Amino acid sequence: MRTSVALPASPASRTRPQSRQVFFRKKVVPWLFVLPILLINVAVVLGPALSAVYYSMTNWSGLGPAEWVGLANFQRLAADGAFRHAFTNNVVWLAMFLTIPVGMALGAASLLAPVKRGSLFFRMALFIPYVLPSVITANLWRALLSPDRGIPAALTDLGLPGFDRAFLGSPQTVLPAIGFVDNWHWWGFLMVLFLAAMQNIPRELYESARLDGAGRWREFMDITLPGIRPTLVFMILMTTIWSFLTFDYIWILTQGGPAGASEVLAVLVFKEAFRNYNAGYASALGLTLSFFVGIVISVFVVLRRRGWEI
Amino acid sequence: MATTTTTTTTPPVLPPPKRGRMRREQSLAPNYTVLGALLVFALGPLLILSFNALKDRAELGSNPLGPPLQLNFANFAEAWEVGNFAVTTRNSAVLVAGTVAAVLFLGGMAAYSLAKLNLPGAGPLTMYLLIGSSLPIQLYLVPLFFAWQRLGLVNNLFGLILIYVATNAPFAVFLLRSYMLQIPSDFEDAARVDGASEWQVFSRVVVPLSWPGFLTVGLVVALSVWNEFLLATVFLTEQHLFTIVTSYANFATRFSRDWSLTSAAALMMILPIVAIFLLLQRRFIDGLTQGGLKG
Amino acid sequence: MNVGIERPLRWLAVAGLVALSPLAAVLPTRAQEPAEIQMWFDTTGGSETADCIVANAVDPFNARGGAVSVRATMQANNWDATRTAIAGGAGPDIVGTPGPSFVAQLAQAGQLVPLSAFAEQYGWADRFVPWALDLGRVNGELYSVPSEIETLVLYYNATLFEENGWEVPRTMDELMTLAQTIDEAGIIPFAHANAEWRAANEWFVGEFLNHGAGPEKVYQALTGELPWTDADFVAAIEMLNQMQQNGWFMGGLDRYYTATTDERLAAFGEGEAAMNIEGSWFMQDVNAFFGEEAGNENDWGWAPVPSTDGEPSYTLGIGQTYSINGNSANPEAVAEFIDYLFSPDTQAALVTQCGLPPAPVELDPADLADLDPRHAELLGALNEASAANDYGYTTWTFWPPETETYLYEEVEKVWAGEVTAEQYLQGHQERFDAEREAGAVPPIPAR
Repeated sequence: MRTSVALPASPASRTRPQSRQVFFRKKVVPWLFVLPILLINVAVVLGPALSAVYYSMTNWSGLGPAEWVGLANFQRLAADGAFRHAFTNNVVWLAMFLTIPVGMALGAASLLAPVKRGSLFFRMALFIPYVLPSVITANLWRALLSPDRGIPAALTDLGLPGFDRAFLGSPQTVLPAIGFVDNWHWWGFLMVLFLAAMQNIPRELYESARLDGAGRWREFMDITLPGIRPTLVFMILMTTIWSFLTFDYIWILTQGGPAGASEVLAVLVFKEAFRNYNAGYASALGLTLSFFVGIVISVFVVLRRRGWEI
Repeated sequence: MATTTTTTTTPPVLPPPKRGRMRREQSLAPNYTVLGALLVFALGPLLILSFNALKDRAELGSNPLGPPLQLNFANFAEAWEVGNFAVTTRNSAVLVAGTVAAVLFLGGMAAYSLAKLNLPGAGPLTMYLLIGSSLPIQLYLVPLFFAWQRLGLVNNLFGLILIYVATNAPFAVFLLRSYMLQIPSDFEDAARVDGASEWQVFSRVVVPLSWPGFLTVGLVVALSVWNEFLLATVFLTEQHLFTIVTSYANFATRFSRDWSLTSAAALMMILPIVAIFLLLQRRFIDGLTQGGLKG
Repeated sequence: MNVGIERPLRWLAVAGLVALSPLAAVLPTRAQEPAEIQMWFDTTGGSETADCIVANAVDPFNARGGAVSVRATMQANNWDATRTAIAGGAGPDIVGTPGPSFVAQLAQAGQLVPLSAFAEQYGWADRFVPWALDLGRVNGELYSVPSEIETLVLYYNATLFEENGWEVPRTMDELMTLAQTIDEAGIIPFAHANAEWRAANEWFVGEFLNHGAGPEKVYQALTGELPWTDADFVAAIEMLNQMQQNGWFMGGLDRYYTATTDERLAAFGEGEAAMNIEGSWFMQDVNAFFGEEAGNENDWGWAPVPSTDGEPSYTLGIGQTYSINGNSANPEAVAEFIDYLFSPDTQAALVTQCGLPPAPVELDPADLADLDPRHAELLGALNEASAANDYGYTTWTFWPPETETYLYEEVEKVWAGEVTAEQYLQGHQERFDAEREAGAVPPIPAR
């Protein structure tokens, strides 16, 4: 069906030298498509956000006048043990979220893609945890992880060792435990995104692979993964960015505790801005966070320039 | 930590392909098995949530996980009433509809330009949008409020929609772009040869072909607006403009909240999402094949 | 103009919006009704309490038919909304804050109307308890009135105490011995945990500093005469640490960090836990966990938190304050409403009808006849302590903000064995010195 539409591009349009029209079509038109949403974004984000750059060099409390302090906030940050500790936790978080949810979502999406009967039901059911507000998900799992009445208690009753503990209450286990709860609501979302991408892969590719006798694993590696590469790479990029910004579940479940074991950068920013009223220092922390994000995005952009279609 | 997850992430071990015979369909039994296990993982806690929606507060304290001893269906009516959901649901629906429409329309255009038009300066634009989205909004809340106040956009649903469009734009644009990249260029080139303008290529070829992507992005944006707390509570401070998230605050108790009513309310709020899924069923599943013949 | 941004940046922000201004022009802007004043508030009791406050304080005021009427709106995120709106040049006429240290910030930024003239006009000095009103002063000028007086007391499961023949402890030593006995009987000594409110740490830390070392020493430390590393403070923190290590709070440190509010209070009501040191605010909820309403046959009682010498002692605190927004077009009208809100009649109605903690104003005992007698007794004791100028200091009222955050967060490192009590208090001293230098310590009333 599709081949009938795909006519070869006519060479004629390229040979005519109409430089003004070409300029308009190649340089101006693309920007016209981008401009409306870019303007809205600039109005909301850029102007106000530049003020954060200014505040990061002041001792502003969040109200009233601000006093210029130069780079003092950044010097303080460089020597701040809490900052380094939080950054390490962010890296651990990143490692968890680049592997477990991505693996689960890829697995489930590729299993669901060929399914016809019940496809919508599975897709909806696996996605529903993402619909709930974080405060409800967090509290539900706080009860489910209770060592005296939750799932760990049931496992202990079955004679499994190692579950008679409050996973959210111990500095050794708190970060993975929060990651587990966050992932419960997160991976289904990722799966739906991957599934939408998989639907764009022409079915003929699978059919011809089967004619060649390829198994599921080869299909997955040779057709599915390359087919969804733009979405996969983009979601890996976003996972990286969001891992530096993670806040909700940590704040609701532990506020960074016990004894600072689950402190991450966004928690530090929030505390400095809204608990300690050091809006200037909070801005410096936030910009540093954005700086790390900027590095990650640069890598992405450079790879794309080198011709990676991502 | 995640004993349930490690078993499910590894791809299933496959039987060796039967050789010498063309198979049009593989057995789906392993698919259903693994998906069924994931289903239990996803829906099990929701079962507990629906239990809790039927308990009263004292029972919830002593029996947080088990089935309710007596069914307290009044929680739903009370939650609806106490939460003022009649008003807040309407406001949230307006915000969601406005934001999703604008993000899909304007964001779709931007995504098309990035994916298909070889936009000059795409690199710096990507940097700008994504770095901007990484800056915690608390850091520029006050200047933003100041500007919106001067423009009369505070306590104004349209004013908040503008903010939501901006904050949701980066993710939406780049996710849409990633879906559009998958569409083979042959379709567009064919349309261009036929004399279509870029706008026509966009609206008649690319949009129909990326329907599942648009629906997915729309759903994601809708949910982020539906559950957004900080901006909604700071920019809308009049009772008749309150959104869903403020409803949950009505169940507050000191240092905690009434989880029975909260659970009942949360359960009710899942229903519209389920309805959307069902309504869009055909589009979700058949999007590609429907659009493929046009253009 | 009192706005929180510098001029160039303000222009930048506005300039960025030029593209959108045509859109804005067609939208209706909301003109302020001259005779209506706005009040934003929040309540820890949800919408039921909110409706009760409106019915008992706002509606009667409006019904008097004066020149002004009040529109009260409960805000889900009141403090963030208020603070942002004020900094952005707007906000409600009546500004509620979570405590005096927040007022200081707003006042120093010039965002609040000075209240001294109104205080004189309405005679607030005679109505409010002096030390509580004085906490609203910033550099000598009054900027807020206190709307919630609080203390912490020892609640106990009276039925459980009676069955086991336990005596209500009066001294710290008795408290420790009794907790040991209770623990050995297989019952949790304290229904105390911080899972849903991490700052709950400061309840016990504050009580142990005040009741272990004594309020006099805390006063000296707060006024800079005594270091926080004093041996008595160290001993108090070590005692608290010992209790954590013994598992006396919900059965162990990990349980302490994960037990929810409903879980610990249900355990208290059902007799799985014997005692609970909690705020006077708990009077509002305690009956939901005991007796018929909770499906058990237990009863509760309260006593002052034990002290070293056995004399009753109360730490006092202010949980909420009200001020007038500097952006308000109608400060006189706001003052009139504030005066009405804090009249003894209105306060008595809020306490008896809505279960709110009272403001530090003299209440006629006859007006409190509807109240649970145990609650009325506590209010009496509070009044007495505050009138006698003999009280301890709650951390969330008298500590500067950063030192307070340190106090309740870093104590977890003592419990985790990462730092000693001395090191913890040394860090506390460093934060305190810095904030004292910056003038962030609230005015400590003379003893």
